[in-house]
Amino acid sequence: MKPGALNYVRPNSVQEAIASLEEGGMDAKIIAGGQSLVPMLNLRMVSAERLIDIGGIPGFREFSADDREVRLGACITHERIQIGEVTDPSNGLMPKVASAIAYQAVRNRGTIGGSMALADPSADWLTTTAALGATVEWEGPDGKNSCLSEEFVVAAYTTQLGMSDLLTGIRIPRLHPDAKWGTYKLCRKVGEFAHAMAIAIRSPSATRAFLGATEGAPVRLKHTEDVLSTLKEWHAAHASVLSQSMDSDIAESGREFDDVHIWQLRTCLLRSAQMSFGVKPVEPEGL
Amino acid sequence: MQTIELTVNGEPLKASVDPRTTLADFLREQADARSIHLGCEHGVCGGCTIVVNGKIARSCIALAVAMDGADIRTLEGLSDDPSIVQLRDSFHTCHGLQCGYCTPGMLITARDIINRYGEADEAFLREALAGNICRCTGYAGIVKAVQHAAAELTKTRSNLK
Ligand SMILES: Cc1cc2nc3c(=O)[nH]c(=O)nc-3n(C[C@H](O)[C@H](O)[C@H](O)COP(=O)(O)OP(=O)(O)OC[C@H]3O[C@@H](n4cnc5c(N)ncnc54)[C@H](O)[C@@H]3O)c2cc1C
Ligand code: FES
Ligand code: FES
Repeated sequence: MKPGALNYVRPNSVQEAIASLEEGGMDAKIIAGGQSLVPMLNLRMVSAERLIDIGGIPGFREFSADDREVRLGACITHERIQIGEVTDPSNGLMPKVASAIAYQAVRNRGTIGGSMALADPSADWLTTTAALGATVEWEGPDGKNSCLSEEFVVAAYTTQLGMSDLLTGIRIPRLHPDAKWGTYKLCRKVGEFAHAMAIAIRSPSATRAFLGATEGAPVRLKHTEDVLSTLKEWHAAHASVLSQSMDSDIAESGREFDDVHIWQLRTCLLRSAQMSFGVKPVEPEGL
Repeated sequence: MQTIELTVNGEPLKASVDPRTTLADFLREQADARSIHLGCEHGVCGGCTIVVNGKIARSCIALAVAMDGADIRTLEGLSDDPSIVQLRDSFHTCHGLQCGYCTPGMLITARDIINRYGEADEAFLREALAGNICRCTGYAGIVKAVQHAAAELTKTRSNLK
């Protein structure tokens, strides 16, 4: 339960970090908040001869905002989003999501960039930034690059980042002020990774619906978005229509889920949709 | 080995560390901070919770070498902190502990909850304490103790005004 031998470096620039990554090759690893990496080092699931701490790179802990979008540096912590210390582009969705990631002591150190780069399929930010139409930015030996968050994750723990690439920041477009959202994370114990999650955003400019914790990349629900965009208020009868549209979205995605997982994902989707209409989902008795 | 300089419980400390050493092991061995209890060593149980630059953190999943310049408080360094003084008393009064293994982490987490949110209802407190595992008490006494402490601290504050 202790890490193996390692070296630790703290570069002062993106270029220095990339050079160090290239030099270290397979044995080099970036460390940001360390809240996923150090547990893996402790358990010796991962080894790293060289840890490259990016926390001191200028700009990585900063954010910027204009009237179109907010850009978060890679090392902004979950907690700073939770408490609204960084400008919120999402009408409260991001602080709400942040407050349900792990526990306060972990949120205080874990970063949004680390969470995206690791791409644990259950990570809350993968689904959230995809639903918000965010763009992920990175830099590597070939220069700067970026893509939409919903295209960033290729599979579980696999992203578009190359071996020596460094995620530098995330740009999140501002939600329409009248946009309404709902989100639901299903887990057995508070602070755990999700077994299933969903986010629904109904905005005058676009309706978005995503499923997360799907063992791979988040799944976009295009038919469901079409259905949701026609609804004016929540009605119990909408549940079966949305369930059907979710089933066809999943069928078209080519992904396969077992019955229980489908049931969990559907529960999350329906609760998110309800929440976006201001309806509080009914909690089971005894919770 | 790499050299770091930091402040632990108000005292400056300069030390040479093996980069693989976790902050928990470093503080226990080189700063005699035995209030840090290791349970899981992967961030789940909360027994090793301390304060880094004013914010609570798991010392088992931080590396000592990354703490150059940090200001660290363990329970040893919080013995005169008003919230901790009250919590200690409330844990005693409300039976907030049995074996005591989880207690230092509970106290530091409870202090953070009270400082952040003040008085809170039971459901909220149970969620906020979910990151600290107690194998003895069943939490009833702990939740009561935190509520008791928060209420007492509010009283003290309004008396001061
Ligand atoms: C008890 C516990 C419960 C948790 N529960 C949840 C949860 O419910 N939901 C959730 O989403 N997360 C959860 N997490 C994970 C937590 O959110 C982590 O903080 C996060 O996943 C990783 O962020 P980090 O900054 O700590 O990254 P690190 O641990 O430092 O790094 C993670 C990985 O990403 C790489 N990396 C980091 N930054 C970059 C970068 N800028 N560019 C390229 N590669 C990079 C590292 O090399 C490493 O492989 C939990 C963690 C713990 C310990
Ligand atoms: S020992 Fe650190 S959280 Fe369990
Ligand atoms: S009192 Fe024994 S673990 Fe909590």
